[in-house]
Amino acid sequence: MLGLGNDILTDDAVGLLAARALRERFGGTVDVVEAGESGLSLLDHVEGYDRVLILDAVVSGQVEVGTVLEFGMDDLGSPVAPSPHFTGMPEMWALGRRLKLQLPQEIRILALEVARPFVFGESLSEEVAPALPAFIQAASDILREWDERPRA
Amino acid sequence: MKDPVKESWNEGQRRANAEYTAKRRRVTIDPITRLEGHGKIDIFMDDKGDVEKAYFQIPELRGFEVFSLGRPAEDMPQITSRICGVCPTAHHMASTKALDMLYSVEPTSAAKKLRELIYNVFMLEDHALHVYILGGPDFIVGPDAPAAMRNVLGVVEKVGEEVGLKVIGMRRRLREFIAYLGGKAIHPVFGLPGGVAKGIDPADLDGFRQLADDGVEFAQFTLQVFNDIVLKNAEYVKLITSDAFTHKTHYMGLVDDDNRVNFYDGKVRVVDPSGKEILKFTAEQYGEVVSEHVEPWSYVKFAFLKSVGWKGFTDGADSGVYCVAPLARLNVADGMATPQAQAALEQYFGLLGRPVHHTLANHWARAIEMLYAAERIQELIDDPEIASRDIRTIPTATPKVGMGIVEAPRGTLFHHYETDANGILTMVNLIVATQNNAARMAMSVENAAKGLIHGGHVDEGLLNKVEMAFRAYDPCHACATHSLPGQMPLVARIRNKQGKIVETLRRDSGIVGKR
Repeated sequence: MLGLGNDILTDDAVGLLAARALRERFGGTVDVVEAGESGLSLLDHVEGYDRVLILDAVVSGQVEVGTVLEFGMDDLGSPVAPSPHFTGMPEMWALGRRLKLQLPQEIRILALEVARPFVFGESLSEEVAPALPAFIQAASDILREWDERPRA
Repeated sequence: MKDPVKESWNEGQRRANAEYTAKRRRVTIDPITRLEGHGKIDIFMDDKGDVEKAYFQIPELRGFEVFSLGRPAEDMPQITSRICGVCPTAHHMASTKALDMLYSVEPTSAAKKLRELIYNVFMLEDHALHVYILGGPDFIVGPDAPAAMRNVLGVVEKVGEEVGLKVIGMRRRLREFIAYLGGKAIHPVFGLPGGVAKGIDPADLDGFRQLADDGVEFAQFTLQVFNDIVLKNAEYVKLITSDAFTHKTHYMGLVDDDNRVNFYDGKVRVVDPSGKEILKFTAEQYGEVVSEHVEPWSYVKFAFLKSVGWKGFTDGADSGVYCVAPLARLNVADGMATPQAQAALEQYFGLLGRPVHHTLANHWARAIEMLYAAERIQELIDDPEIASRDIRTIPTATPKVGMGIVEAPRGTLFHHYETDANGILTMVNLIVATQNNAARMAMSVENAAKGLIHGGHVDEGLLNKVEMAFRAYDPCHACATHSLPGQMPLVARIRNKQGKIVETLRRDSGIVGKR
């Protein structure tokens, strides 16, 4: 499980906070990694695993703050011309495939719709804090399901 | 920010905002989401539908100063390295150097060399990422390639799978080296006031020497790619040297005692558009040299040279606008401190003249800097002092004021802290590389808009050209580093004279989630 985010950018920390909470429950059976990195470095973290669950913050602007969204790699769209300073997950994934790296059979991405990921702060915003338990529960459900279901 | 400064800033903002809202005939390339994490371009057209002014606003993280005040200064190397997932080591090092001054402590000679070593490893890694992954689509794949190919896959198609694997492998080994010295590569715990936390075990030197040698080979290979793909293509060279991507501004960058490029330490040198030195200053003098201009349409404060003055978004020797990053660093220096990089530099100036005013030449300059970084790593690994255990001078003085400067991959980075006698922060000011470049970047975007909007007709290639213009600077769009969807949305809303939207150009991520 890979928790993404920045724990000094208010709501951007939700992926890290959820990963920390789940480390206590699943520590023995799941490798839990917290990372603040973007695109390409994520390859280092997912390579060699069969299944990866990624937790992150999202700003879709299209759902209510606090909503848990789920994505698969295919939902992220094809790699577009890169943003000015960043390699996104679609680029990472496409590059890994193209170079025939040993990528996971299954990647699921859970993201919590957040309100304030661009302002420095060490605690979640009022709108997002109450949604954290449901986010953790959604991740926990996926890990349990994987635990019970043998790998493909 | 101190209170009177804050008040005059706010007053300036209010006044300017009022003027701004009074304006009409606006074309907006606007955020698609409701939040502030995106590039925003405002284009004003004149009566004929030609571009009068264009404004480029880069996203910025907010509230850092408030966040920092009241914390112990010694936490800053860790806190500032967490500002951004892209250049943590640059902030870490500028902050560490600011703490040296804050505690009036001189690091040991071995500590300085270890800092410079880890710093060059970081520069090599970050530059490689930009050359192949971020900037690569523009000059390796080509500016006119179909949109579907202008990404990292297109780069792999063009240079081959082997090279793709080489890039990934080299990057990983460089990051492992940073992790060896600094713990987590993303948030290094390495620099301390007066020295560093960890040295090198002599038994590990051979492995690092191999990495340095491979780094030099990799950098030479990168320059070869640039030669073969870009320089042998007359169309590319024409594009690089075209007026649309040329600004004759001042340049700023760190140099050593012999006026050669240095990323970690030295004095900051400024040259005018003819390449003549006009200023040379130390960290503690930055406040006398750099001032910041406020515009109503941007959170970003536009840095300019105090002695020359703010004359608006314009180039030339009379305008205080200056530029940082690879292009600028090579322009301010008399040469490179390592032999292979010096040879590459001579070829570069031989073809483009000196100083180089072409923004897209940043890509070439970046590749030359990769070679310098790799050669400098070799030298430092071979230094008899590098495995010394004498890596820290313990500070004893009472802290007061500290300032530190490094060259981040994307340009000169200033950190300035003031504390009480207990080392608790009472003032924090950072000038990041992108701020130094902000004025020139805005000029580049305006040029692109002027070239592609005529008589009210907007060329479809606008977003592409605008992106190419600012991507060469490798600007820090910190907000986009890891939050999904991850790409900076750009939407062009084209309005006619009456302010009605007639056309929309958009580039967004198009992600679809399930609830």
